[in-house]
Amino acid sequence: MRRMSMFPDADPAHAAFTEDAIKSEMENEEQNLVKELVALSTTDQIRKIRELPMSFKEKKHVRTQVMEFKSSKQSHQFTRLSDCSRNMSLSIRRFGYSIKSARQTLELWHGIMKEIGGKFGSSVLNYFVLLKWLLMFNIFSCLINFGFITIPLLVYGHTPNITSKVGFRGLELLTGAGYFNYTIMYYGSYSNETLYGLVDYNMQLAYFFTIAVYMVLCGIVLIFSMASSFKKNFALANPASNNAWQLLCSWDFSITNERAVNQRKNNLRVQLKESLSEKAHRERQTVSEKLKHYGIYIGSWLLSTSLAVGCGVSIFYLCQYEDKAVDTETWSLLQEAETLLVPFVVSLMNMVIPLFFSLFNKFEHFSNQRKQIYAMLFRNVILRMSILGVLCYYWMYMVPQKFTCWEPMVGQALYRLVIVDFIFLMLGSFFGEFLRNVIGTTLQPRLGVPEFDVARNVLEIIYAQTLAWIGIYFSPLLPVIQILKFFILFYIKKVSLTRNCQPSQRSGRAAQMKTIFIFLLFFPFFVGALSIVAYTAWSLTPSEQCGPFRGLNSTFSVIGEWIDEVDKIPGSEWVVWIYQNVIRSEIFYFLVTLIILVIIYIFWQLTQGRKELIILLSQQIVNHTKQRSAEHSNGRQSHSNAVVQVLLARQQVEEEERRSASGVPVPSDISTSDAMMQAMLARQKAERQDEKFYEIPNEHPPSLDAVALSMAARQRAEEEDEYWSITDFNQSNPVNRFGMQARQRAEGNREDEPNDALSPVSSVMTQVMQARQRAEEEERGQSTRAPGQNPAPSGSSALIQAMLARQQAQNEYDDGY
Amino acid sequence: MGTTASQLGKDSLSEYQELTFLTKQEILLAHKRFTELQNRDERNHLNATRVPMEKILTLPELKSNPFRKRICHVFSTSEAKDGSLTFEDFLDLLSAFSDSATLEIKSHYAFRIFDFDDDGTLDCGDLEKLVNCLTGETDDTRLTSEEMRQLISNILEESDIDKDGTVNLSEFQHVISRSPDFVSSFKIVL
Repeated sequence: MRRMSMFPDADPAHAAFTEDAIKSEMENEEQNLVKELVALSTTDQIRKIRELPMSFKEKKHVRTQVMEFKSSKQSHQFTRLSDCSRNMSLSIRRFGYSIKSARQTLELWHGIMKEIGGKFGSSVLNYFVLLKWLLMFNIFSCLINFGFITIPLLVYGHTPNITSKVGFRGLELLTGAGYFNYTIMYYGSYSNETLYGLVDYNMQLAYFFTIAVYMVLCGIVLIFSMASSFKKNFALANPASNNAWQLLCSWDFSITNERAVNQRKNNLRVQLKESLSEKAHRERQTVSEKLKHYGIYIGSWLLSTSLAVGCGVSIFYLCQYEDKAVDTETWSLLQEAETLLVPFVVSLMNMVIPLFFSLFNKFEHFSNQRKQIYAMLFRNVILRMSILGVLCYYWMYMVPQKFTCWEPMVGQALYRLVIVDFIFLMLGSFFGEFLRNVIGTTLQPRLGVPEFDVARNVLEIIYAQTLAWIGIYFSPLLPVIQILKFFILFYIKKVSLTRNCQPSQRSGRAAQMKTIFIFLLFFPFFVGALSIVAYTAWSLTPSEQCGPFRGLNSTFSVIGEWIDEVDKIPGSEWVVWIYQNVIRSEIFYFLVTLIILVIIYIFWQLTQGRKELIILLSQQIVNHTKQRSAEHSNGRQSHSNAVVQVLLARQQVEEEERRSASGVPVPSDISTSDAMMQAMLARQKAERQDEKFYEIPNEHPPSLDAVALSMAARQRAEEEDEYWSITDFNQSNPVNRFGMQARQRAEGNREDEPNDALSPVSSVMTQVMQARQRAEEEERGQSTRAPGQNPAPSGSSALIQAMLARQQAQNEYDDGY
Repeated sequence: MGTTASQLGKDSLSEYQELTFLTKQEILLAHKRFTELQNRDERNHLNATRVPMEKILTLPELKSNPFRKRICHVFSTSEAKDGSLTFEDFLDLLSAFSDSATLEIKSHYAFRIFDFDDDGTLDCGDLEKLVNCLTGETDDTRLTSEEMRQLISNILEESDIDKDGTVNLSEFQHVISRSPDFVSSFKIVL
C-alpha cells in the first residue's frame, strides 16, 4: 500500500489542473481504494486498513465507506443472515483480540523485557531474549526427559536401590557425587529392561530416542532461527554502501533517559566523524605503520591462542593428577571436595583469561569497534573450545578405562562444572558489576559507572548451555539444574543491570550482533556438543554394570536389535527395508549430498542472475535521470513516477530473491509476474516519454539504450520466471505474454516507419488499444473465472490505466499539432 | 482499570484495536496517560479536546527525544499546525511506534518526521537538520561545515538512486529496508 506516496506525483497533467480537479482526483483515488478493499476478505480488510499510512480519522472514514459499500451491496440479500454472520465475525474478532492481549500478559517476563529495552536499548535486550530462549530449550528438554524416561521408570517401580552406607551429607549439592550417584540423576540408575505393564515400554529405545529427538529438534530450531536472522540482518544489509544511513537509522527512539540520550548523541557524532575519516586514514598509513600494526595483530593472536592452548593442556594434567581414588563409595568429605578442584580452575580460567584478552585489545588499534568486538569474541571462543575439547577428550578416552561404570562419572563432572560455573557467574556479576560500580562512583570517579558487557555475558550463557547439551546423555535431569540456573541468573542480571550499569554508549548493529550470537551458539558450541554425544552413542562401549545400554557394543546397536525384533512382526518389512537401505547405506548419504550440492548451485546461480538484474535496473534508472536532465519542466513528475515504479519492481524482485534464498523451493509465480507487470508498466511509461522526444534527433541514443537495457533485464527475469513456472502454469502468464506480444508488435510498427511524422501518435494509439484490450481481457477472464464475484477492482484499475494512457495520448496529440 | 474501560466504551475500544496496532492493555494505558494530561473538565469529551504540544512533551517517553516536536507535528491533525494532539492522534503515534507496526508504516512516518520542511522530499536542508538533531545542536557539538558537506554527499550517494539531489519516499524506504536495526529502534513504549 503506497497510497499516500501516489498523491504528490500522481500525473503530469496535474500541474495544469485546477484545485477542483485535484480534489476530484483524490476522491477518485479514495473510491478506488474503497473498491479494492471491499473485494478483500474481512480479516484482510482490517489488516489493509490498519496498514494505511493515514491518520486515525481518515482510516475511520475509509472503514465506514467500506462498510457502507458492503451493506448497500448486501441489502438485497437476506439481511438477517448477513447481520447474523457479521455479528458472529465481530464477536470472533473481539475474542481473538482478547486472546492476543491475554497471551501478552501471560508471556514470561514481558514487562521486565519492555522495561530493559526501554532503558538500555535493544543490544542489552538481546542478552535477555537469548537467555529466555535458552530457558525455553531447557524447559522443553526437561519435560520430554521427565515424560519419556524418568516417569515411566518411577511408575513401574524401578526405584534405584541406595546402599545403606551412603547418606546425604550436603556436599553432594556441589559435587553431585555420593548420594546423587544412586538416584535417577545420572545415566547409571536407569534400567535396561523392557517394562511390562499396560503397555510394554522399552527403556533402551525410550532413552535413545528421547535424547536423539531433543538434539535434532534443537539443531533444527537453531538452523531456522539462524537462517532467518541471517537473511534479515546480513543478506539485506549492504554494509559497504549503507554506512551513514545505518548510523542515522539506528537511533533508538525508545530510550528515555536524558543522560543516555546525550551520550548517544556524542557517540553518534564520533561514529559519524570516524566513518568520514576512516577512508582517508587508511590511505594515509605508511608502509612501516602498516607493518607495525600487522606485527601487533600477529603477536596478540599468537599470545592469545597459546594462552588458550596452555589452559587446555594444564586442565588435562590437572585431571590426570586428580584421579587417584577410584573407589567412590568410601570417599571422605575432603576427597569429595577435591573433585571440585577441576571445575573451579576451569571457571577461574574462563573468568580471568578474557581479562588478558581485553588487555591485548588495548594495544591493538582496530580501525573500527566492530572488528574489535569480533576479535574479542573469537579469542574467547577459542579459549572455551580448547578447555571443553580437552575435558571431552579426557571423558571419552580416560574415564571409561578407569571406572567400571563410567557414564555417571562423566555426568558428575558435568554437574560440578554447571554448578561451579553458576557460582562464578554470580560472583562475576557481583565483582564485575557491583564492585566496579562502587569503585567507579566513589573511589575512582574517572572510571565511571560500568556498562553491561553484552558480548561477555552472552558468551557465558552460551557456554553454560553447551555444558547442559553435552550432559544430557550422561545425566538426563541436568536440564532441571539448568532451568533453575537460568531462572535465577535472569533476575540477578536484571537487578545488577538496573542497579549498577548505565546504558551502553555505542549504538547500532544490535541486529547483526544477535545473528552472530545465534551463529556462535550453533556453530562451535551446539555442533561440538552434538558431535560428542553422537560419538559417545556411536562408537563408545557403554559400561557393562549399569545404565540402560549395559551389555551392548555401542548405544546405537539398540536400533539394530529393535529392527531385528520388528522383522518378526508381519507387515513391517518396509521398516526393515528403510533401515537396511537408507539409514545404513553409504550410497544414500552420497546421493543426498549430491542433490543438496546441486540445489545449492542452482540457487547460487539464481542469486547471481538477480544481482545482474539489479545492476541493470539501477543503470536504467540512472539513464532515465540523464534523460530527464535534458528535458526540463514538463515530464518531470511522470518520469520520477516511472523511476519510482522501476524501484518498486526492483524491490519486489529482491523480495522474491529473499524468499527463494530462504529455501522455499518454488517461488510463487504470481509475485514474479506482478513484478514483471510493474516493470513493464514502468517501461511503457518510459517509452511514451521517448516518443515525446521523437522529433528531437539528439535524444535517441540514451533512450534506445534504456529500452535495450530493460529489454535485456526483462528477458532474463522472464527466463527465470519460466524456469519456475514450467510445472504449474499460472493464469497471469498468458496475460503477460499477450501484453508482450502486443508491445513487440507496436515496437515493430514504430521501427518500420521511422520517418513517418504520424508514427508516434499511431504508436501511442496502439498502446492505448493494447491497454484497453488488456483491460477487457482481464475483465473477461475474471467474469469467466468467478461469475458471481464483483469484477470491479482489478478490472477497473486496468480501465483506469487505459484512461490515463488515452489522456496522455490526447495531450501528445495536442502537442504534436 | 474498570472505570477507564467503561469510560472508553466497548465499541470504541474494539474500533481502536481494529484500526491501530495496539493491544487492549496498551490502549487502556494510553488512555490513562492521556487523561492525566488533560484538564479535569476536559476529561469527559475525549476526542473533542486537543492537548497542546507543550503538555504532550512532558511525557517522559518523549521528553528527551530529539525529534519530539517533529513527532507531534507529524501526528497532529490540528488545522492550526500547532502540534496539539487528540486522543486518536495520540493512539496513531503510539501505533506507528509500537512493536507490531509494519516496516512500511514505520518508514513512512520516519520519512515524515525527518522531512522538516514538509515538502515531500528530504533535501540537503532536511538532512542537515536531521544530522544536527542526532548529534546535538550546540555549536561545540555540531559537525563542521566541511564534515557536514561530506556527510550529506555520502548520504545522497548511498540513497539518491535517481540522482536528483533529494531523497524521496521510495528511495528512503529502499534504504530503510536494508537497515535491520531500524525496526527495533523506531519504537516508543509507554
